[in-house]
Amino acid sequence: MPKIEVNEEFFFQLAGQSWSNYEDLEQDLTIAKAELDEWDRIPSDAGERMIKIELNDTNRPDLWTTAGLARQLRIYRTRNIPSYPFFASKGKSIDAAYRVVVEKSVREVRPWIACFVAKGKPISDALLKDMIQTQEKLAWNYGRKRKGVSIGIYRTGLIEWPVRYFGVEPDSVSFVPLQETRSMTLSQILKEHPKGVEYGSILEGKTIHPLLTDSKGSVLSYPPIINSADIGAVQVDDSEVFIEVTGTDYPSVALSASIMACDFYDIGFEIANVRVDYEYDSPFGSSVIFPYYFQNKVTLSLIEANRLLGDSIDLKKAQDALARMGLGAYCSDGLTLHVTPPEYRNDFLHPVDVAEDIMIGLGIENFAPERPSDFTIGRLTPIEVFSRKAKDIMIGLGYQEMIYNYLGSGIDYAEKMQIPVGQLVKIANPMTENYEYVRNSPIPGLLQTESVSAKASYPHRTFEVGKVAIKDPEENYGVVTRQHIGFLISHAQADYNEIASHVATLMYFLGKNYTVRESADPRFVPGRQVEVFLEKESVGVFGEIHPAVLEAFDVMMPCAVAELDLDSLLIG
Amino acid sequence: MIDQSAARILHPLEVRIILAFDEGEIIDSQRVKQVLGFREGQEQQAFSWLLAKGVLEEAERRTEVFYELTPLGQEWHEKGIPARRIFSLLKDRGPMSLPEIAQTLGFDQKTVGSAFGSLSKEAVCAIDEARRARLAKNEFPASLSEIESLLALAASSGGSVSEKALSDSQRALMGQIAKKRGAQDSPFRITDRVRVLYRVTPIAKEYRKAISTLGMTGEELGAITPEMLEKGTWKKGHFRPYNVQIPPARVIPGRRNAYVEFLEGVKDKLVSLGFVEFDGNLVETEFWNSDALFMPQFHSARDIHDVYYIEEPTHAKFIEEPYLSNVAAAHENGGNTGSRGWQYQFDRDFTRRLILRSQGTVLSARQLPKAEVPGKYFGIVRCFRYDRVDATHLSDFYQTEGIVLGRNVNLKTLLGFLEMFAVEVAGAKEVKYVPGYFPFTEPSIEVHIKHPVLGWFELGGSGIFRPEVSSSLGVEVPVLAWGIGIDRMALMALGLNDLRDLFCSDLESVRMRRSQYKIQ
Repeated sequence: MPKIEVNEEFFFQLAGQSWSNYEDLEQDLTIAKAELDEWDRIPSDAGERMIKIELNDTNRPDLWTTAGLARQLRIYRTRNIPSYPFFASKGKSIDAAYRVVVEKSVREVRPWIACFVAKGKPISDALLKDMIQTQEKLAWNYGRKRKGVSIGIYRTGLIEWPVRYFGVEPDSVSFVPLQETRSMTLSQILKEHPKGVEYGSILEGKTIHPLLTDSKGSVLSYPPIINSADIGAVQVDDSEVFIEVTGTDYPSVALSASIMACDFYDIGFEIANVRVDYEYDSPFGSSVIFPYYFQNKVTLSLIEANRLLGDSIDLKKAQDALARMGLGAYCSDGLTLHVTPPEYRNDFLHPVDVAEDIMIGLGIENFAPERPSDFTIGRLTPIEVFSRKAKDIMIGLGYQEMIYNYLGSGIDYAEKMQIPVGQLVKIANPMTENYEYVRNSPIPGLLQTESVSAKASYPHRTFEVGKVAIKDPEENYGVVTRQHIGFLISHAQADYNEIASHVATLMYFLGKNYTVRESADPRFVPGRQVEVFLEKESVGVFGEIHPAVLEAFDVMMPCAVAELDLDSLLIG
Repeated sequence: MIDQSAARILHPLEVRIILAFDEGEIIDSQRVKQVLGFREGQEQQAFSWLLAKGVLEEAERRTEVFYELTPLGQEWHEKGIPARRIFSLLKDRGPMSLPEIAQTLGFDQKTVGSAFGSLSKEAVCAIDEARRARLAKNEFPASLSEIESLLALAASSGGSVSEKALSDSQRALMGQIAKKRGAQDSPFRITDRVRVLYRVTPIAKEYRKAISTLGMTGEELGAITPEMLEKGTWKKGHFRPYNVQIPPARVIPGRRNAYVEFLEGVKDKLVSLGFVEFDGNLVETEFWNSDALFMPQFHSARDIHDVYYIEEPTHAKFIEEPYLSNVAAAHENGGNTGSRGWQYQFDRDFTRRLILRSQGTVLSARQLPKAEVPGKYFGIVRCFRYDRVDATHLSDFYQTEGIVLGRNVNLKTLLGFLEMFAVEVAGAKEVKYVPGYFPFTEPSIEVHIKHPVLGWFELGGSGIFRPEVSSSLGVEVPVLAWGIGIDRMALMALGLNDLRDLFCSDLESVRMRRSQYKIQ
């Protein structure tokens, strides 16, 4: 979930409202699915204070910017849907003073670009920081770490138009990137520049890399890696900037440019259009004027909305609610809402997405909770009921119930147990070797308890009922999950006979007739261990734990253990 | 002054000693046993209690020599000494060779040899011409009978006899047959014992006064025995009062685990609200874990560092149809769900990738194709996250999730359920709902509650499954989906503040843990 920091003074000014306390602000932020991440209101000067906010809606990147979040709060309060006259669309062309030429060579590597020019106001220090944050959040969270979207901002004063976007071999071009003083080739940047190292994997395996230059060949940037140190280094008090977004997913690229254009416009900049001429076809045409409005209308029947929301909202109320969310909704038949997504949003995949905006627009507090009327009979799973029966018997036998983690180390689960580690389900990307395997038995957990509980007064009787993962190549997943019970006794005289008696008692009261066969399990003492059978099906083991296992767990007291498959017992 | 309440709870053994001996008198174990007929050990118990009360004080310690019966001595006492048994055998059966004797009586040669030697020495036995032993006299020698009387004396006084209790001749004989070390071949072992002498103090007098006022005799009835009940002897006696202020001894019972008990309490509560429990595999596919929940495959939350991948096998063999095709279409262009989809190429290989399930919602998705309408389902299931383990994060933990299907369920019924959970499961006094975001529900709601102890916190997330989810899995009615976080309540209930302690290995902590709060 993205987190942003907004300058309080700047944010309140854009929202057209001041909040005297953060409790009220937090309450108002809920309509944007946002919450305060920190409540301290220091330092005392509002111009210095940064508010930390967490945004929960990953489909609304427009809210991840100071201006965008402020806009939503402002519209919700005033119901004034702002208009952004600079957008071109399918049926609306606008003269563009600037031009970008996209050459065929870039098509395979990073085909799409959207851009605009913002001017007419000096960039303040607070705005510069905010721009950088917006650029980062959009590229990182929405743009999947620059893979889908990356953004560059440039000083227009240094650009000779038109700008060229094309592909080059990474050794054929060099320029001075940001944070450097020397000229480097693209290959060098990937190897030596911190940003090249961080994002180089996006271009892995590509022989042609994207490059953005002006008509004289001066490099603007090497998307999605790094800007140039001159044209690409915007400074405080610059009053005209060129903003471009490149990427692989065209709607995301266009929307990111739209979000930033609307933000600049809200802050008081003029937006100048840029015409992008592709040497190949694009979903929006081969010549596109940006910022470009590409979203489609969404249709929602009022009946459907009311069914989903459990209400009887009339047309006027629905339109009003949508207006508070910034959505214009047109209706000709009194039943069907034709909703126009705002320029900065593209999160309406399904009509239900509009219904949710009606809900938020009306305010959740206006929906009264209703007791469900459908009658259903509740029931535990058969294995849960059966397991509880087994647990009751174990408690009657004086056992303490335990509960353990299901992930552990190969050392605890296999090496100490004297079994091959290959029997266990292994995690391919463990965070640490302490949590690298899924257990196939509750016994290591029970022995772990013995290894840390020598001071607890004896006798020890412990058990656990829980899941284990058993490899089975026949299965679709190669693994089956089973419910097992494991129980352990430990004291100076703990032996085979005692655990055998407890198994017999448990099985008697579970109503199971079982037979035993001497087994050769390395975890147990030879000759004092058996496999348990129901008819011909093996359902478990019990016996005296081998001293080598006890030694591995650093246990100095004899232990006897049983493990039974409750899923098998339930059916058998 | 000793008051009556202190005297009242004296043990009968104490009472009898106090009544039997005067101040200044010196007593010891033997004397007390002699005078009061205490059983072995009783006097020592009484001494320790009376010392603590100041009724006795230690006067002197003396070391005395004792002769203890060894197991061999005990055997000799029970079966007769070897010489006696040889004598009796020859008397019954007539002459026998020494090896025959050894075999018949089960002695080794050495034992037969030395016993026969001692009989010959007294001229009771001799060897005849056929090299057989025969009796020469019909009387067992007195010198050997002496050994038997020593054995009997020791056996009758608890297995040992003091040097002081022996006559000079007995002492001399004992000197021949007893050993200090390596005594397993001898009937007696020589040991040094400390004899402690106690002096009765003036405090005894005060107790005696209180005892007589109370009319205690020391013959009061202690433990009620089956014999007492059978014979009715209790009818004539008085019951000795016990000291009820003594802390009782600890008992270690078989017990439920407090955390499991808490989880089961939540399960029972949900069942009482009409929910059917579900369960499933620990290992799942990307398909059910995320794709079926309409989380786009390119989503940043589906990074390699968010779920655990299985090393081998890497992929499931297949994904059930028609769900695979339906879900793929929902992602690509919405399919028949009324959605425009995520507009990307769905990866049918990646969707089979095996992982450890990272959210309980997997099971809600899996339930959809087989769910009844109307229907309510829930599960409290173990999930796995790629997280660094600390006080607030675990690599495996429980999630509580569920769904409600019905023709008439909607946002308001969803709020109704959330309210029900807040009140019934969490005991909340106030409930607040705010818009939330989950990729698989629309609308989405977060529920915050004011818990009587924990204050305001987020109880859970919920929503109505997107049609891309429910319709792809064959359900055409609205499905409410919810998840509630019960770990904070569990920690509070168990008096803990570290999630790792929920899965505690330490037996003593688990034994002592108790729930201070129960789902009502």
